[in-house]
Amino acid sequence: MEKSKSKFVGVRITDEQASILSRLQKDSKLSKTEILLKGLSVLDEFYALGLDHKPLSDELSALEKEAFHYATELRRVRKREEAISEMVQELHEIDKIVDKYHCEKSALIQILLEIQANTHWLPKHALMWVSERLDVPMSQIRQITTFYKAFHLKPRGEHLVRVCLGTACHVRGGPRILEYTERALGIKAGETTENMKFTLESVNCLGCCALGPVIVVDNDYHGRLSTSQIEKILSSYT
Amino acid sequence: MTKLESAADLGKLRKQILSRIDPKKPCITICSGTGCQASGCEKISAAFQEELKNQKLSDKVDVRRTGCHGFCEKGPIVIIYPEEICYLQVKPEDASEVVSQTIKGGKIVDRLLYADAATGKRIAHESDIPFYKNQKRLILDNNRKIDPKSIDDYIALNGYSALAKTLSGLSPKQVLDEVKKANLRGRGGAGFPAGRKWETTRNAPGDVKYVIVNCDEGDPGAYMDRSLMEGNPHLVIEGLIIGAYAIGSHEGFIYVRQEYPLAVENTELAIKKAEEYGLLGKNILGSGFDFKITIHRGAGAFVSGESSALMCAIEGKVGEPRPKYVHSSVKGVWDRPSNLNNVETWATVPFIINNGADWFNGIGTKGSKGTKIFSLVGKVNNTGLVEVPMGMALRDIIEKIGGGIPNGKKFKAVQTGGPSGGCIPEKFLDLPVDFDELAQAGSMMGSGGMIIMDEDTCMVDTAKYFANFLADESCGKCVPCREGLKQICKILDKISTGKGKEDDIKDLEDLAEVLRDASLCSLGQTAANPVLSTLRYFRGEYEAHIRGECPAKVCKALITYYIDPEKCRACGLCLKNCPVGAVSGKKGAVHIIDQGKCIKCGACFDVCPEKFDAVARISGRPVPKAVPPGTEIKKRG
Repeated sequence: MEKSKSKFVGVRITDEQASILSRLQKDSKLSKTEILLKGLSVLDEFYALGLDHKPLSDELSALEKEAFHYATELRRVRKREEAISEMVQELHEIDKIVDKYHCEKSALIQILLEIQANTHWLPKHALMWVSERLDVPMSQIRQITTFYKAFHLKPRGEHLVRVCLGTACHVRGGPRILEYTERALGIKAGETTENMKFTLESVNCLGCCALGPVIVVDNDYHGRLSTSQIEKILSSYT
Repeated sequence: MTKLESAADLGKLRKQILSRIDPKKPCITICSGTGCQASGCEKISAAFQEELKNQKLSDKVDVRRTGCHGFCEKGPIVIIYPEEICYLQVKPEDASEVVSQTIKGGKIVDRLLYADAATGKRIAHESDIPFYKNQKRLILDNNRKIDPKSIDDYIALNGYSALAKTLSGLSPKQVLDEVKKANLRGRGGAGFPAGRKWETTRNAPGDVKYVIVNCDEGDPGAYMDRSLMEGNPHLVIEGLIIGAYAIGSHEGFIYVRQEYPLAVENTELAIKKAEEYGLLGKNILGSGFDFKITIHRGAGAFVSGESSALMCAIEGKVGEPRPKYVHSSVKGVWDRPSNLNNVETWATVPFIINNGADWFNGIGTKGSKGTKIFSLVGKVNNTGLVEVPMGMALRDIIEKIGGGIPNGKKFKAVQTGGPSGGCIPEKFLDLPVDFDELAQAGSMMGSGGMIIMDEDTCMVDTAKYFANFLADESCGKCVPCREGLKQICKILDKISTGKGKEDDIKDLEDLAEVLRDASLCSLGQTAANPVLSTLRYFRGEYEAHIRGECPAKVCKALITYYIDPEKCRACGLCLKNCPVGAVSGKKGAVHIIDQGKCIKCGACFDVCPEKFDAVARISGRPVPKAVPPGTEIKKRG
């Protein structure tokens, strides 16, 4: 077997194939992906021609399988590329925030808050990047992100449901509102539904005690609640 | 904007601003505090703008969004100037009527006015409404008049005049003496004399000193600091600059919870504007005094409101308290002398400077001077922010201002001082509210939360609520607080589920003592207060729980839901609403709850029509045996 060194969309190819590929690229000035797509469409035409011709049709369908395999590989690579570029994009954003605070270690909490304002949670690579930039050990960042309630180390659902359990809401029946919401969503406070639709949180006072008991979905306040209204409110967000 | 270079410049600017204002020009002010925002003031504001445009009045009428007016129960609040007509619970649909009737026609829309609960009489002006009439509004007063985003609004109402007076004529020592003479006590909780704290920082060695505003208002059910910071940030900033001048500090911090985004936004803007006007920065008003302010957003930790913990947080560390062998006024942020005061304390300073210590001493009681803002919440008719002179009786606050307890229920207790405070029973309702009296009654002033509880509130459940809250918020640095609270929670849980024993009360008292004596910071030292005060005044309720009865019928494990066969009309509402299918029944037959399936959520109790009143909560006595399925309902008559 000939040893393959080069790779095409993540799949090893022979030297011969590689040279064809680079020639094609040079001549057509197309990207690798475009060549692959072109190849697939040509294949498609051939396939239509060879339907009546058994050996050709077999050959073509084998070829097609191979092409399909490449295409899947391509998608996988694409996905990874996208994820990486997204991550790099995020790190750029973080850089901007860190620079705004002049790389000051004392601004760590402020920086993390601002990062989270964009992403709604703190992915690990963000924390590592901040640790790198501020020269603060990861252990300290972990300490801070687990100490303060505002930080979230897990992705959050599309809608944030906050149930107020401040004293005023407590005496007006907040705990029962929370129970109902938990049952309606099928999760406990602090969790996110499996479909990533809702994250449920309990909070210690939203400062609108006149409306108690109150729940806030995203930024919509639903006050003076009775338990029977909850499902209707939640269903308006699905 | 050219920078103001002297006190005279500020005076000139004020005249200029005032000359631009036509006092006769109608103005619609819309309360945009958090409470009113939650009830939709955004849409109301848009509706008014739209309506003015439609009726071609846009340039003849001003629309102003103000800070919190305090009467949150009846929000959103709209006031029409110059007549000062106060409309309550306004909806966007009301805009067109208000504009065409009141603005154009000069007529009052009766149905939007306050209606007296007893007589039904309509009241047109805010100052005549009992809720406001019985208050003394000093610090909160401008909240309803100014747009917090406009520094000109603040200056027009004499804003920054105390700063001008300070910088142009008073020495730092004179300012300090005035504040000391005024006997201003810290509004954040403990009531430590602000003047003495300032003096310690002023005299502490070191060139660099800091002043800090504590707006890490974590007490659940308290939101006065938020309303001030959101509604009148310049007042706090002015107080802070004056304090910094007296102390000899050139750098200040405002620590705001990130849960208060509007407060952060308005304060940021206020600082920027003050810098543009030369009221912050280098050489303020030509006096040679420099001062700058940085905002620090708190990331949500109750314990970070403690002074030494807050200072750690400012340094970018975990906000944990430290032992205070050396006070933070001597060694605080980055080991430099740091003076920390609460929002309300700073906001009081400009009034003392403008009116003098003698005037301030004329308000309040012997030991507590001035006014105090409370957030009156819970089971009370008029929820809202209340500013009263120190020494007003609790009963007056609850009944005259708060309008009493809703739905004809009986008053049980008032909880003051947040999680570090205690519950005060009815027999102490005539207590004058000040720092010392509340402490004597086993509670504390705290930052000013006042939560009213009625007969439907269980005191064991309340104690458990606070204990759980504090156990959750304890930083865990010292053992008494970390472990003690955990045990208190466990015991309370036992009691509230009917598994308590006689000895448990004694154990609670012992634990409370250890917490008070051995905890590192005031969170732990005062953590047992809710338990101790409820034990002191409501011991009977604890004993009832141990016997298996929850008198207020709150504690789930001790109550049973039961449908009275005599009263059931077989309407089927409970059956339809039961989330677990524990109710069975059919048309014409008495409905029955399967106690084995029941999760005690109370849905049946909630939905059973008042006129039937068939679902009962039973606690402390045996539940009657269920009637056989299919039993016909009792014929009416």
